[in-house]
Amino acid sequence: MNNKVDLSINLGSLHLKNPVMPASGTFDIRDTLLNQRQLNSLGAIVTKSIASHKREGNPGPRIWETDGGMLNAVGVPAEGFEYFKEQIFPLLEEANDTIIVSMVGDSIADFSQLAKRLDDFERISALEINLSCPNLNNGLYFGINKDVLGNLIHQLKLSTRKVVIAKLSPNVTDITEMALTAEEAGADIITIANTLLGMAIDIERQVPRLGNKVGGLSGPAIRSIIVRMIWETSQKVRVPIIGVGGITCAQDALEMFLAGASAVQVGCANFSNPFVMLEVIQGIEEYLIRKGYSSIQDIIGLINRRL
Amino acid sequence: MKFNSHPVFIKGKIIENKPLPGDYYHITIKAPEIAKKARAGQFVMLSKWSLKNLLLKRPFSVNSIDADQGILGLLYKKVGKGTQILSDSQPKELVELIGPLGNGFSIPEEVKIIAIVGRGIGVATLIPWAEECSKKGIEIYSFLSAKEEKLLLGREKIEALSIRTFYTTDNGSPGIKGMVTTFLEELLKDNTVHIGAVYTCGSKRLARHIRELQKDYHFSAYISLEERMGCGIGVCKGCVINTIHGYQRVCKEGPVFPLEEVIFDEQ
Repeated sequence: MNNKVDLSINLGSLHLKNPVMPASGTFDIRDTLLNQRQLNSLGAIVTKSIASHKREGNPGPRIWETDGGMLNAVGVPAEGFEYFKEQIFPLLEEANDTIIVSMVGDSIADFSQLAKRLDDFERISALEINLSCPNLNNGLYFGINKDVLGNLIHQLKLSTRKVVIAKLSPNVTDITEMALTAEEAGADIITIANTLLGMAIDIERQVPRLGNKVGGLSGPAIRSIIVRMIWETSQKVRVPIIGVGGITCAQDALEMFLAGASAVQVGCANFSNPFVMLEVIQGIEEYLIRKGYSSIQDIIGLINRRL
Repeated sequence: MKFNSHPVFIKGKIIENKPLPGDYYHITIKAPEIAKKARAGQFVMLSKWSLKNLLLKRPFSVNSIDADQGILGLLYKKVGKGTQILSDSQPKELVELIGPLGNGFSIPEEVKIIAIVGRGIGVATLIPWAEECSKKGIEIYSFLSAKEEKLLLGREKIEALSIRTFYTTDNGSPGIKGMVTTFLEELLKDNTVHIGAVYTCGSKRLARHIRELQKDYHFSAYISLEERMGCGIGVCKGCVINTIHGYQRVCKEGPVFPLEEVIFDEQ
């Protein structure tokens, strides 16, 4: 039996040594428990979303655990570009060969300007665009309106030479339309998806559990929804897909590969087990060996070939 | 390069899991890697479940530290699914731990007399601090409050460590009804006892009163806060409280904060 499998994958021009990375916001280079060797064994590092200016985030309580998941309304607190440049980027440079910077903005101009500034960083491999943030102009998420989404991605492609990853919101009627829009506008990769909007209420005090009232649901509870979205989208777009939502182990990640994802992100499972990404990588490798494959590429979208 | 490699992620073996009155429990866990580093005021994240069943670990402040034996003690109340599972667990079973986490208590150099003000289970984190201070020869005055007498947790330990211990209960037995900080104020008025620092946990109402007293009497004050946590190590930014420096993470900048820096919401 072959006991050497190739976990490396090319997402267009973005090369990863393996297809496992943290989901933005669930990993912080300043607070990680992973050592240097472990950090470098990840497929990539995805930063918390950075913004052009400091963002305080939402008032507490910011998290609430639900059955099979958690709601968060952290509100993308960020230190701003200068802090990122001085304090965070030097740590990232030493941590991993592939650095993906997640970014938020409050207008298309704000996004574009930040993308331009990040373009000067040789070691940044890609920009992941957090579309689940409100547009200051109309208060709506960038990710829920096709025209705004397409325009934003188009402008970003004009502002940067970096690989642009569109991280889509799942809070839409048909995510495949959003994916097609992002692809047509020039997105190089699509991340599916983000947290699903939810709400929990304290029935004794008769108030919402979260300071922000509503929040994003993540965790095992959303995984089957995400797998379905990956499968639907993979049949419509040509660009590679990164799957994210509720992965807690290699088996969960493998579902997404089989559905059509070329890479995966691990989110809130990092909170409970700071080493879970290493276990996922190992588990994927073991699965490929057990099934007799030589490469992770052999199983991407495999269910479509079986249907 | 500098990574925060101080906390460890380990399995600990339960030694004893003892029920106390009122749905409270005291659990001791063999966890030498954490016990040898832990300080009073710090906490651990604990799970005794698969993250498929219950996603997040739960934070527990350290109630006793035996570095030589490598044993941690935690005091907890059965309130939800996580603590329900924990309360059912038996000796020799394993728990998963991340710790030690957060900043412990500290004491200004010149302070020789301190006060401890705890309500209910808030006393859990104050006991190891009282032990540490007592060993250093610092005099301790303690002020405990609870709903009723049987819920004056850790009473014997605190009494043994303190010059004097004052109580109030909501129903007036023992001690008197009302706020335990009334006793504290009487002591602060007493010119023969110079309380240099006050440590509190368990009640924002008591904390607000201590803050008021701080304006009239000169002393340092520290509060140990709790908040719902996602990760406990600073990553998720979920456990923030409002301070004069903006939002700060209870897990990373806390859980012990200088009282005057905390902004309490109007409730």
